[in-house]
Amino acid sequence: MTGSPDARMGNDIARQFAHLPTPEAAEGIARHIETFWPPSMRRSLEALVAEQDDALDPLLIEAAGRLATHAARTEPDAHP
Amino acid sequence: MTLMDDDLQSIWSPELDFGTPAIRDADAVQVSVTIDGREVSVPAGTSVLRAATEAGVPIPKLCATDSLNAFGSCRMCLVEVDGARGVPASCTTPCSDGMVVNTQTETVRELRRNVMELYLSDHPEDCDGCARGNCELQAMAATVGSAEVRYGRPESRIEVAHPKPIDESNPYFAFDASSCIVCSRCVRACGDIQGTFALTVQGRGFDSAISAGGTDFLSSECVSCGACVQACPTSALQEHSVVELGMPTRSVETTCAYCGVGCSFRAEVRGEGDDAKVVRMIPSKNGGANEGHSCVKGRFAYGYAAHRDRQLSPMVRDSIDDEWRKVSWDVAIARVAAGFQALQAEHGLGAIGGISSSRCTNEEVYVVQKLVRAAFGNNNIDTCARVCHSPTGYGLKQTFGTSAGTQDFRSVEQADVILLIGANPTDAHPVFASRMKKRLRAGAQLIVADPRQIDLVRSPHVEAAYHLPVLPGSNVAFVNAMAHVIVTEGLHDEEFVRERCEDADDYLAFIADPVNSPEATAEVTGIDPAQLRAAARLYGTGANAAIYYGLGVTEHSQGSTMVMGMANLAMVTGNIGREGVGVNPLRGQNNVQGSCDMGSFPHEFPGYRHVSQDDVRGIYEQLWGRTLDPEPGLRIPNMFDAAIAGTFRGLYVQGEDIAQSDPNTQHVEAALRSMDLVVVQDLFLNETARFAHVFLPGTSFLEKDGTFTNAERRINRVRPVFGSKVGMDEWEITCAIGRAMGYDMSYAAASEIMDEIAATTPTFSGVSFARLDELGSMQWPVFDTTSTGTPTMHIGEFVRGKGKLVETVFVPTTERSTRKFPLILTTGRILSQYNVGAQTRRTANNTWHPEDVLEIHPADAEVRGISTGDLVDLSSRVGSTTLRAMVSERMPAGVVYTTFHHPVTGANVVTTENSDWATNCPEYKVTAVQVGVANARGDAAVAEAREPAETHA
Repeated sequence: MTGSPDARMGNDIARQFAHLPTPEAAEGIARHIETFWPPSMRRSLEALVAEQDDALDPLLIEAAGRLATHAARTEPDAHP
Repeated sequence: MTLMDDDLQSIWSPELDFGTPAIRDADAVQVSVTIDGREVSVPAGTSVLRAATEAGVPIPKLCATDSLNAFGSCRMCLVEVDGARGVPASCTTPCSDGMVVNTQTETVRELRRNVMELYLSDHPEDCDGCARGNCELQAMAATVGSAEVRYGRPESRIEVAHPKPIDESNPYFAFDASSCIVCSRCVRACGDIQGTFALTVQGRGFDSAISAGGTDFLSSECVSCGACVQACPTSALQEHSVVELGMPTRSVETTCAYCGVGCSFRAEVRGEGDDAKVVRMIPSKNGGANEGHSCVKGRFAYGYAAHRDRQLSPMVRDSIDDEWRKVSWDVAIARVAAGFQALQAEHGLGAIGGISSSRCTNEEVYVVQKLVRAAFGNNNIDTCARVCHSPTGYGLKQTFGTSAGTQDFRSVEQADVILLIGANPTDAHPVFASRMKKRLRAGAQLIVADPRQIDLVRSPHVEAAYHLPVLPGSNVAFVNAMAHVIVTEGLHDEEFVRERCEDADDYLAFIADPVNSPEATAEVTGIDPAQLRAAARLYGTGANAAIYYGLGVTEHSQGSTMVMGMANLAMVTGNIGREGVGVNPLRGQNNVQGSCDMGSFPHEFPGYRHVSQDDVRGIYEQLWGRTLDPEPGLRIPNMFDAAIAGTFRGLYVQGEDIAQSDPNTQHVEAALRSMDLVVVQDLFLNETARFAHVFLPGTSFLEKDGTFTNAERRINRVRPVFGSKVGMDEWEITCAIGRAMGYDMSYAAASEIMDEIAATTPTFSGVSFARLDELGSMQWPVFDTTSTGTPTMHIGEFVRGKGKLVETVFVPTTERSTRKFPLILTTGRILSQYNVGAQTRRTANNTWHPEDVLEIHPADAEVRGISTGDLVDLSSRVGSTTLRAMVSERMPAGVVYTTFHHPVTGANVVTTENSDWATNCPEYKVTAVQVGVANARGDAAVAEAREPAETHA
């Protein structure tokens, strides 16, 4: 467990989507992160997932795998 | 407007006083009256006094003024009406169609002269106000021709019938009863306008006298709003500054630099150039936000602009342990540019960023985001709204389609039920609070949802129908329970939900789930379910129901969810899209709405358009001549984390004191220490400047030319009272940095910046300085130059089309009370101080609030052996500080409260890194803490331990 702020903030987002079915929640989390997180933090999150950081919420791990390379090119709609 | 010396007579009232308020009823029929041969048409109900003034026939008056309802006591405005007996007071006589009025018959002129003689018979000849030409009594005496007083006149103030000592207890004004004519304008202003009822008339007949509740002004309930001083027709109530500096010689219409109400003021000035001094600030009757009212901050606490702590020269130093060296602007700008370029060369484009300020103008913050996006080449721009209302931006955009409140302030006059959540307007937004109280006195019902028993729960002539002491951290559960009652009891507006909203079925099913009931959530919210049900029924059935909210909503880990929850509540009851309803954020700083509008967030351009949108980015790329980053940049807390990680090395901070205002001070300070180049642009060497390498002196609002946008989206002009005291305007400083970094950004004037904003931002298309000067103010959106603005939003259709009902699931914060930290700390503000206190601490406002104190419930205090006045240690899992305790039943047991205005106490030493899930707005309102009697450390030791930035009272 790294105690990374990116993990903490990602987990906070994941908890808001936890009431949704996993695929829908993971998509929602991914879109939110794409909309508001800079690429450096998105890459950092992906690195934490690759390192199997045990601080990460399973939903956040699921979402990290769905992150696009770039921020969405249309106005994103990023809510639970 | 600038008045010249030969207009001195009008300086004390350049706005025409019509004597009684205008009739606002748009449906009122017009009646025609003839006054001294002049015919005038006015709405029915208009007084003869007002109609006469509108017709250009001034009638002498003393107790009448158009900010107050007619009183009819002074007997100066007597007139004769054809066909009517007697000589009625024109202020209390309504016009009727065909009425013929004579204001200058010999009968009324003789009566006025006699009455005036009686007034003068107890008015001292050495009256200071008369000598200054600042006395309506003297002016009226000349008007009515009372040259002689047959009953004699006291030569000096000690020879009046009932001489009293002058009350000089208030730091800003004095009350000299010897000049008072007991017209009651001050008493009525305190009650009718301010709603405090601190003043009264004591005694009867010739013995009657104005009294601040039997004590002096400072010890009384007076909140020093200045309404009484403004209303006083003599100089019985007089600003100290007028006595010290003399009467003003010119005035400039501008906008207050304190809270998000954004009051319009007439800065009255004496002298020119470097000798110019503000004599006083008079609230403008034509100000759309304040309509002639003010508070202790805007009215009186402007002296910080000329305070001795003010820094007027650029300064540099090699390390934060070195002394500052004053340098020229060229040297300082070159140092900033070279430093930032070197950091980018070594660590990449993203290694630097900027933070803009909600205390600066729209034009100033616009150029900062332009500097970052175009010259720095990244989107690492953020603003202090991050730590206050960023969840408002997120939540209202998701649900309604735009990041702003739905109403103008005047809308509250049409509200039947007011739901006030997590806001304390009598302290933080006092001028709006006065409007709200006026509406409550007229019969509107109030529901207060707040853990603290704020003044509005019970104050003179105002009592909340329900006070729901919602526990910190449980807002979403509370608002869901409100909506649950409304939906399950069939009180919702089915037609509005079906026609105006989307996702209705899903939302209605979600909210009707018993887990959202008041009973199921009672343990979390701490609210009696029966009380909550009753409050929900009141909101759901109360005709026009309006929500007003503050940082008690946003500064939570679910702040954005709560904003969406309130939007749900308004939509499900159809309380959107007309006057008297809506969802209304009470924003903290004067230009927090504007700084957000101007593209100060790292993910969006001006007008809330995401940086990833190719078409929007194309507009700016074409205009600015640079390829722009399509990815979001770092938010403020991200910058701190990246600084500690070593990837973020340089920061340009415009007008923000992040070392005091942001949470978890140790973390912020560690981040600032980690950076190679911190540039602070400010009036003062603030807490953040302790970690800075370059200091660039900023300008006060009295020197700025630009615009502020208040909480009701009203764009107001800020006009310079005198030139920049530091030799440059703040937008010029920012542009100079850009040019020194090789990016040509130049404007001839601030108006050109607004022209660029209008040309690139659809919601500002019709805005220009010229139009604002012509119209006074406009509320965005202003889509073209035929529009005068949009007071009420979402009429007929939401900005996003259909309103979105969001399933606002309550997710508790991870911050919980524990055995080690059993209490919950929540933070707030107080009337006399503002934000981190940089401005108000440098004024006499310290008279009322010299230090931050910790409010603690008697039960919590008793078990800890704490009494009021004790120095106590306040500690959380991240830090501890020491401050004085105040035992108070305002807080529920288990919850403690403090303000964060003073760096010595540093409340943010204990607040944590927890933040809103969507926006990273800090969770200032929920920190698990322990409180205990402090060790034998004195105040001096506490102050020394915190090493506050230099502050003098």
